[in-house]
Amino acid sequence: MWFVRFVSSSIGKKLIMGSTGLLLLLFLCSHAAGNATIYMGSEVFQSYADELHSHPLIVLVFSTIVLLLFVIHIAFGLYLFFENRLVTPSRYAVDKKQAKNAFAANTMPYTGLLILLFVLVHVFGFTFSPEEIPISVTVKSALSGIFYGMFYLFSFAVLAVHLSHGFWSMLQTFGVNHPRYNILIARLTYIIPAFFLLLFGGIPLYFMSGAGASF
Amino acid sequence: MSSIDLTLQIWRQKNNDSLGHLETYPLSGINTDMSFLEMLDVLNEQLTRAGKEPVAFDHDCREGICGMCGAVVNGIAHGPERETTLCQLHMRNFRSGDTLVIEPFRSRAFPIRKDLMVDRSAFDRIIQSGGYVSVNTGGTPDANTIPIPSQVAELAMDAAACIGCGACVASCPNGAAMLFTGAKISQLCLLPQGQPERRQRALAMVETMDREGFGNCTNARECEAVCPKGISIRNIARLNQEFLAASLLEG
Amino acid sequence: MKLDARIPSGDLAQKWDNYRFASKLVNPANRRKFTIIVVGTGLAGASASATLAEQGYNVKTFCIQDSPRRAHSIAAQGGINAAKNYQNDGDSVLRLFYDTIKGGDFRAREANVYRLAQVSGNIIDQCVAQGVPFAREYGGTLANRSFGGAQVSRTFYARGQTGQQLLLGAYGALSRQIHSGRVTMYNRREMMDLVVIDGRARGITARNLMNGELESHAADAVVLATGGYGNVYFLSTNAMASNVTAAWRACKHGAGFANPCFVQIHPTCIPVHGDYQSKLTLMSESLRNDGRVWVPIQKGDQRPAAAIPEAERDYYLEKKYPSFGNLVPRDVASRNAKEQCDGGKGVGSTGLAVYLDFAEAIKRDGEATILKKYGNLFQMYEKITAANPLHEPMMIYPAVHYTMGGLWVDYNLMTTIPGLFALGECNFSDHGANRLGASALMQGLADGYFIIATSIAGYIGASSLQPVAATDPAFDESRKNVADRIHRLLRNSMRGPAGKVTVDEVHKQLGRLLWDNCGMARNKAGLEAALEQLPAIRDQFWNDVYIPGNATDINQSLERAGRVADFLEFAEIMIRDALAREESCGCHLREESQTAENEAQRDDANYSHVSVWEYQGEGEPPVMHREPLVFDNVTPSQRSYK
Repeated sequence: MWFVRFVSSSIGKKLIMGSTGLLLLLFLCSHAAGNATIYMGSEVFQSYADELHSHPLIVLVFSTIVLLLFVIHIAFGLYLFFENRLVTPSRYAVDKKQAKNAFAANTMPYTGLLILLFVLVHVFGFTFSPEEIPISVTVKSALSGIFYGMFYLFSFAVLAVHLSHGFWSMLQTFGVNHPRYNILIARLTYIIPAFFLLLFGGIPLYFMSGAGASF
Repeated sequence: MSSIDLTLQIWRQKNNDSLGHLETYPLSGINTDMSFLEMLDVLNEQLTRAGKEPVAFDHDCREGICGMCGAVVNGIAHGPERETTLCQLHMRNFRSGDTLVIEPFRSRAFPIRKDLMVDRSAFDRIIQSGGYVSVNTGGTPDANTIPIPSQVAELAMDAAACIGCGACVASCPNGAAMLFTGAKISQLCLLPQGQPERRQRALAMVETMDREGFGNCTNARECEAVCPKGISIRNIARLNQEFLAASLLEG
Repeated sequence: MKLDARIPSGDLAQKWDNYRFASKLVNPANRRKFTIIVVGTGLAGASASATLAEQGYNVKTFCIQDSPRRAHSIAAQGGINAAKNYQNDGDSVLRLFYDTIKGGDFRAREANVYRLAQVSGNIIDQCVAQGVPFAREYGGTLANRSFGGAQVSRTFYARGQTGQQLLLGAYGALSRQIHSGRVTMYNRREMMDLVVIDGRARGITARNLMNGELESHAADAVVLATGGYGNVYFLSTNAMASNVTAAWRACKHGAGFANPCFVQIHPTCIPVHGDYQSKLTLMSESLRNDGRVWVPIQKGDQRPAAAIPEAERDYYLEKKYPSFGNLVPRDVASRNAKEQCDGGKGVGSTGLAVYLDFAEAIKRDGEATILKKYGNLFQMYEKITAANPLHEPMMIYPAVHYTMGGLWVDYNLMTTIPGLFALGECNFSDHGANRLGASALMQGLADGYFIIATSIAGYIGASSLQPVAATDPAFDESRKNVADRIHRLLRNSMRGPAGKVTVDEVHKQLGRLLWDNCGMARNKAGLEAALEQLPAIRDQFWNDVYIPGNATDINQSLERAGRVADFLEFAEIMIRDALAREESCGCHLREESQTAENEAQRDDANYSHVSVWEYQGEGEPPVMHREPLVFDNVTPSQRSYK
């Protein structure tokens, strides 16, 4: 079967990583849009959350898709990680990396796993939080805590590192590499992670710093 | 011209079945005009005169085009100078008192034969599975029948400059051969002569590449950084594209 | 030894057609019953293997490197000639033929050279169809450059890597046949002996360089495409593994060796730095288009180039050859550089170099223009010498580059041993006493793609070959001889290295002897002295060489020793050939045969022949035979560059 052959090939696996990565990035965008309502005050945010939950079917379908994407992205990522470790158990007595931004590239599996940890904490903390307490209250109380807030900030930094390689890497895997657009792509590899870092990171900072005390 | 003293730590391994180790050799009075391989020649002459086995290493043209030489010097394939094969690396890049750790190109797909000599025949098998235009001798149309834009010919030439040395595999954290395979696929998919077999070629060469035990590309860009011919990972992007199109549309 | 060149009848232009028409053929269905051995995978070997396999023969191909893609054809920079006349500048098959035969100083066979020119166009078609990325004009047609004294633009090129691209094309074709199973590829094998049964070449003994195993391979014909013997000089632009062993072993079995003294010495190479030097690097001679060659007028002048005022510089080429100046042919430029250095005017730390100065061209055209033309060469020079030719003159010195001599072959490229063919630089046939630039690639591919298949069919079709297996006693004997020789090489090394010499030390001695006496300019006294000194070096080799390791493992010292042993034997016919040819022609300058103005003086009355050497056994002097050269279509003229 061509599809099985495709996904079991080295490039096929990369393409799966890239395309699920892209879809997750799109999810991240929509999530970010929703979260941005926090900056508009608790009422706006709460009404957004209520509106969202008034369409349980849509939420279910979307959640399932996102879950599936996560599972595929993580499963293939882990598979590649372990396969690559088989190939090269630290092979040189001296090993000097030559590429720029080698840190992000070489830590993809680790940053990925940290993001997974964050997602678990996040989902159990907010998505499955007791329904009788309004979500805006939960958010405020959780993120005002120094430990919880710092963990969030750290996770967003990790996400930025992951994206800084992931975004470019996805385009490269899709075959998008042209001198005319490479400068733009190079800029986007900084702009996109920075955007998410600012937008998401601002939320815990907003609460931790006390600026969101009247939320 | 000046001379320097070095400490060499060279990987010695009898054959693929035995275990290897780094052995230390002091080497003094090395003329800085020497190439790296000439420095190894000097060491080998000294070892021979002392009744010891010289270090086995592959080399042939010594002008940077045959792709036979190569070793990892202080953690960098082909040594510290960019876009340079080991034979064209000169000792003026080093300072007296330096310690040079010299190891073979390592990869699961490149078994070590002896010391710094590795078996890169996996590359040959990748090419054999499709890295050509299937045209017999004779009966070809006049060379000017199909015009090829100069820019396209230049792009194809950029890719075709690959010398098959294996530095890309040796430096890749995953031991992937994507730059090598991508260079050949790019060359042929850019040229009109490569079009008829374009899809089958991409599928067949990638299949062989995977089967030979090369790793998965994670876009770490190390290959591009050490390639002695400066081959760009744009060729890997083209390979990805070719493979995706071939997978969706062929077979 | 009977030398029948088997030149087909008819007009020059009709000979190749007539030959193909008269030649026997082998039915396509029958071809698979025949096995052909091809030794070497350069342009000639790879293209021959691919072509023969495409036609249906079983092919066994051998190469010394780890991959067939690494043969030294890969290092050719400049380009490949073809009489396409794409530039509409008056080129034709006849003109390419004439340029080649004149360039060879009328010491090549008319019929072979004409055929070379005839098939040259097909080579370009073939290579383009294979996806060789030749340089193109903006309109998409193929670009040409002019090269090496030709007055037309007929050289096709792929940047400065034409040899690489052509070889990778042939390697691709070979790879395709390996994949199809028609070619069995044997990497890292060295041909150690030819096996001759009933007077015909029927196989080879090869040594597996990975484990020392001696292998017997039987076949119906053997094709040698093993390149030239420039490494006999130790220092040359050849690859380290290039050697004469295969050709020399064939010679010992009765193949005639033609014109061994014809060696081309290229004028623009990077000079030797010191004793450790392992090889020389060539730079395209196009540099002489804008560079001016000079030495200080004063002997032993140690000042840096910039400190030598204009009045104290000797632009000796411009002075001596006012009309050609710095653009005199390769051999003339080389000889004059040697003359200056021998006279004590050489520059650099070794005194073995002359300046090639771009200062005037830079002043005239600007740095940008000069860099555009020669940027990659300047870069290469700077990488090796750490000096920038934009700021100080380059230093150059001649180096051994190509050997026109080789196994004698008839029109079919068959040696004097039936069933043994020689292609490319390994044979002698097309370049006479001097090869023109961009012609080596053309000859290798012409032989491999377009000539050998017809020859093989003609030979097999006309002979009733009995099947031979590798178990034949002749193979056992050959293996035994090879094993004995290897044993003899290692015999002296049992008791350790004390008081011994290394293989390279002996090779350097041999190289020095030949370079001094059988190099750019030769004379009777020097050649006789060299002939006298040769046995002592040979004795030293066989008595005192220390080779570490054993014969059953990877042993690069042993490999080199075997090649040097053959160079030591081969050097004798080279010197004898130079001694016997008492004329100057092409690259061979006999100091006794010069005009009043110290120019080479050819002697057509006595030396218009190919000298073919027949091996007579160990310790016996070889015998020289002559193949007279007949010029029906061109009139030999004397070269003059004044």
